[in-house]
Amino acid sequence: MPKPMTYKANSVIYFQGDVSDRIYILKSGRVSLTSNDIETGQEIHDYIQTGEFFGVKSALGRYPREESAAVLSDAHVIMFTVPEFEQVVSANTRIIMKMLKVFSNQLRKMHAKVQDLLASDSQNDPEEGLFRIGEYYLRKKQYSKALYAFQRYLTYYPSGKFHVKANSHALTAENYAQQYGVGKGPGVPGLTTGDAPQSTTQSKPEEGRSLSDVAKRFYDAVSLFSRQEYTDSLKAFKQIAASGGDEEYTVKSLFEIGRCLHALKQYGPCIKHFTGMIQKYPKMPSLPDALYYVGQSYLEQGDATRASGFFNKIISMPGIDDGLKRKVNKAMKAVEET
Amino acid sequence: MDLSNPAFERFAVTFQPGDIIFCEHEPGDSFYLIQAGRVQISRIMADIEKTIDILQPGEIFGEMAILEEAPRSANAIALDPMKALEFNRANFEILMRGNPQIALKLLKLFTKRIYDQRRRFMILTLDDVQAKVADVFLMLAEGEGTNNQESNERTFRTSVEDVAHWAGISPEKSREVLSHFASQRRIEIYQDRVVVRNINDLIRFVNSRRRQ
Repeated sequence: MPKPMTYKANSVIYFQGDVSDRIYILKSGRVSLTSNDIETGQEIHDYIQTGEFFGVKSALGRYPREESAAVLSDAHVIMFTVPEFEQVVSANTRIIMKMLKVFSNQLRKMHAKVQDLLASDSQNDPEEGLFRIGEYYLRKKQYSKALYAFQRYLTYYPSGKFHVKANSHALTAENYAQQYGVGKGPGVPGLTTGDAPQSTTQSKPEEGRSLSDVAKRFYDAVSLFSRQEYTDSLKAFKQIAASGGDEEYTVKSLFEIGRCLHALKQYGPCIKHFTGMIQKYPKMPSLPDALYYVGQSYLEQGDATRASGFFNKIISMPGIDDGLKRKVNKAMKAVEET
Repeated sequence: MDLSNPAFERFAVTFQPGDIIFCEHEPGDSFYLIQAGRVQISRIMADIEKTIDILQPGEIFGEMAILEEAPRSANAIALDPMKALEFNRANFEILMRGNPQIALKLLKLFTKRIYDQRRRFMILTLDDVQAKVADVFLMLAEGEGTNNQESNERTFRTSVEDVAHWAGISPEKSREVLSHFASQRRIEIYQDRVVVRNINDLIRFVNSRRRQ
C-alpha cells in the first residue's frame, strides 16, 4: 500500500548514492533535490512542485540516487514501491507520457554529450562503419546481409567515398547469393581483409587498425604470464624475440623473458639475460625495471652488496614512476635486514 | 497488454529468419515492439560478430531512434519468423496512449539508457587512459549488481574490443592497457573473459584519478 509519510523541515528523504526502490509524490511542504552537474560538478537545486513525483528514475532503473532530497519546510509525501507506482500510473497514461517526454529529453542531452566526446576521439564514422559491415558479411559469405548493408549505404551515401565499391559489392552479393548460396562461393576480390588497416584517412592512423600478428602473439604471451604460466610464457616470448621481425616487440619480448626467468626463480640466467640486454639496448624504456629485476635476483642469491648497488642506481635515475620507487624502497629495506 | 487491437495492424512488419532489421551505424528512425519471434542484437568487432543480447516477444528494441540523428549502435537480426510493431517519433504517442504497459516499459528502458549514457560519459571524461579502462570494469560490475560480495574477484565475459568500445579508445590501446594491468597482476586475460582480481583495488584506482 502507498504510505503517507511526514518529514520535518531540515530532514532528508534520501541521499545521493542510496539504492532504493521507493518513489515519492509531494502532497504539501517544500522539498529540494540537490545534485551535481556531471560536467562541472556544480551543485544544482530543483524544487519539487506539489503533486510531482520524485525518485522515479533511480527506483525504476535500480541504480543509486543521483540526487539528495532535502525537506525545506515540513512536508507530507506519499511513498510508493515500484509495483505500486506502476499500478497508479497505468491508470493515467498522461503521467507516463509526461515522464517519457522529460526522460527522452534527458536522454537526448546525455547522448549528445557522449557523442561529442566520441567524435573528438574520431572512433566513429558511421559512413565507413556501415560500409565495413557490408564487407564483413560479404567476407563471411552471408550474402543477403551484405546486400542489405551495401544497399543501405547507397541509400544514405549515394555519392559517398565508398559508393563505387558498395555498388559493385552489392552486385556481387546478389549474384553469389543466387549462384552459390549462403556460406558458399569464391572469395570476393577487392575486399578489405579483417587484418588490413580499416581506416582510409591519414588523420587517424591509429584508429581501427587491427593488430599485427606479432602484437597478437606478444599479448597472448603476456596473458600467459598473467596466469602465472611462466614456462609457456617464456617459450612464447623467446619465439617472438628469435623471429626478430618487429624491433619494438623484440625488445618488449626480451624484457619479458627476463621477467619470466625471475618468476621461475632462475636468478643466474635472469641476471645474465638482463645484463646482455642492457648492453645491447642501453636506451630501452624499461631500463629501470630491468635493473630492479637484476637487483632482486642478486638479493635472492644472497649478494646484498651487488643488489643494493643496483637499487641505489635506480633511485638516482630521473623520472622513475612511483610504483617502481616503492618497490625499490621495499627491496632496499629487505637488503638492510639481511 | 492488448496488441491484438486491429488498429495496430497498420504498424505491423514481418521478417524472415536471418533478415537484418537494421544494422549498426545506419541512421535510425523507428523502433520496434516484438510480437512474435526472437531478435538477435549483435555488433561486429575485430572481424567477429558478437551477440550482445537475444530479445523475446514483448520486448522493445531500437528505442534510441526516439533521439534525432542517432545512428544505430548495434545490428538487429531476426532469428525466427518475426512479427513486430514499428513506430517512429511521430506516431509512438498514439500507441502509448492506449497502452500504459508499453509506455511503462519504454519509460523503464529510458531510465536505463540515461544511466548507461551518464556512466559512459563519466568513463570518457577521465583523462587517464588506464583509468578509463579500469572504469569500464567498474561499470560492468555495477551492471551485475551486488549479489556476490563475499569475494573481491570478478569475472567478465568481455573482450579487448568490448573494452575499447566502452572506453572510446582503439583496440590496440585497449590491449596495451589490459596487458599492463595483467603484468601488474590486477587482471587475468583469457580468450573469452577477463578476471579482475580485486574490484576494490580498481575502484580505488579510478577514484584517485577522478579527483585530480
